[in-house]
Amino acid sequence: MKSGDWAVTALRALAEHDRKREAPEEVETRLLAAFRKKQVRRQVKTVALATLAVAAGITMFFARPQPKPKQVVPMPERRQPIAVAAAPAPMPTAKPKPRQVKRQPREVVTQFFPLLDVATPFERGELLRVTVPASTMRTVGLPVNEDHLTDRVYADVLVGQEGLARAIRFVSYEQ
Amino acid sequence: MIATDAALLEQALTGAEDAFTALYRRRQGGVYRFALQMTGSSAIAEDVTQEAFLALILHGTRYDEERGTVASFLYGIARNLVLRRIDRRPWAEMEITEECAGPEDLLEELTRRESIEQVRQAVLSLPPVFREAVVLCDLQDSSYEEAAAALDCPVGTVRSRLNRGRAMLARKLRGVAVV
Repeated sequence: MKSGDWAVTALRALAEHDRKREAPEEVETRLLAAFRKKQVRRQVKTVALATLAVAAGITMFFARPQPKPKQVVPMPERRQPIAVAAAPAPMPTAKPKPRQVKRQPREVVTQFFPLLDVATPFERGELLRVTVPASTMRTVGLPVNEDHLTDRVYADVLVGQEGLARAIRFVSYEQ
Repeated sequence: MIATDAALLEQALTGAEDAFTALYRRRQGGVYRFALQMTGSSAIAEDVTQEAFLALILHGTRYDEERGTVASFLYGIARNLVLRRIDRRPWAEMEITEECAGPEDLLEELTRRESIEQVRQAVLSLPPVFREAVVLCDLQDSSYEEAAAALDCPVGTVRSRLNRGRAMLARKLRGVAVV
């Protein structure tokens, strides 16, 4: 028998002897605990990120420049002339101008685009109006011109009972 | 249909506990025995198995199907963990404990076991580069390709290391009867 063959025979005997050796059951228990812990961490991270995204959207929505309210300038006080003898002449009454009715811009919305691949059944939630960069529209497959990627657009984010952003739709206004 | 290791890993990485459990039960024995035969310590083998699968949970996305099987990926992780411990640990210690056989074949069993332990000691005395090739190919029945992926070297290198390892073992084991 060649020396190599002899070694292989000896090794086969050792392999056969060790064949049923396995890690103790505690290892599996510890690993499953670690696995579950990681899943919980992942869920918390997802919720935190979604919450952060919604919060950022809300912040941006409120932080955008608001039209300044018109300042009311107080009229300088006028001293009433002291009426002497003559009766005051009747003041000409100005005809009230017809009010201009402002047409409200019409809201146009897209369909809702799901943000989660797998989600628990929807029970209740909230719809939040936020502003997002137009580039977000690309992430759901909507076409956006390169020049307008950084423009801000309105969006409604549907947040489920667990705090996860489940779907998004985009809003535009037509005059 | 039995799911492949790669499919189980993919599911496990999306959070499927059943898939992870199935993959662990299928592969833990091999990883444990590899670490045991490389180090001679059941305590280290237990640690290495746990850490290797923990690494799979945390960094399983790094697995690339084109570079090898999930088993070779796991052996690769286990190998790195083992080599780190080899650097720290003297080889004189042997901690493998086993149950005794019944009294009727005790003498025969003890003789056989003694021979087996001599083989184990001979394997443990090999330099790590030859030992890992011998353990993977001869004790774990890994293919040359699987071993090459686990050891991160070409198939030809695995073959030559295996031949040299076997030759060294044969010299060490002259006179030991194992069958």
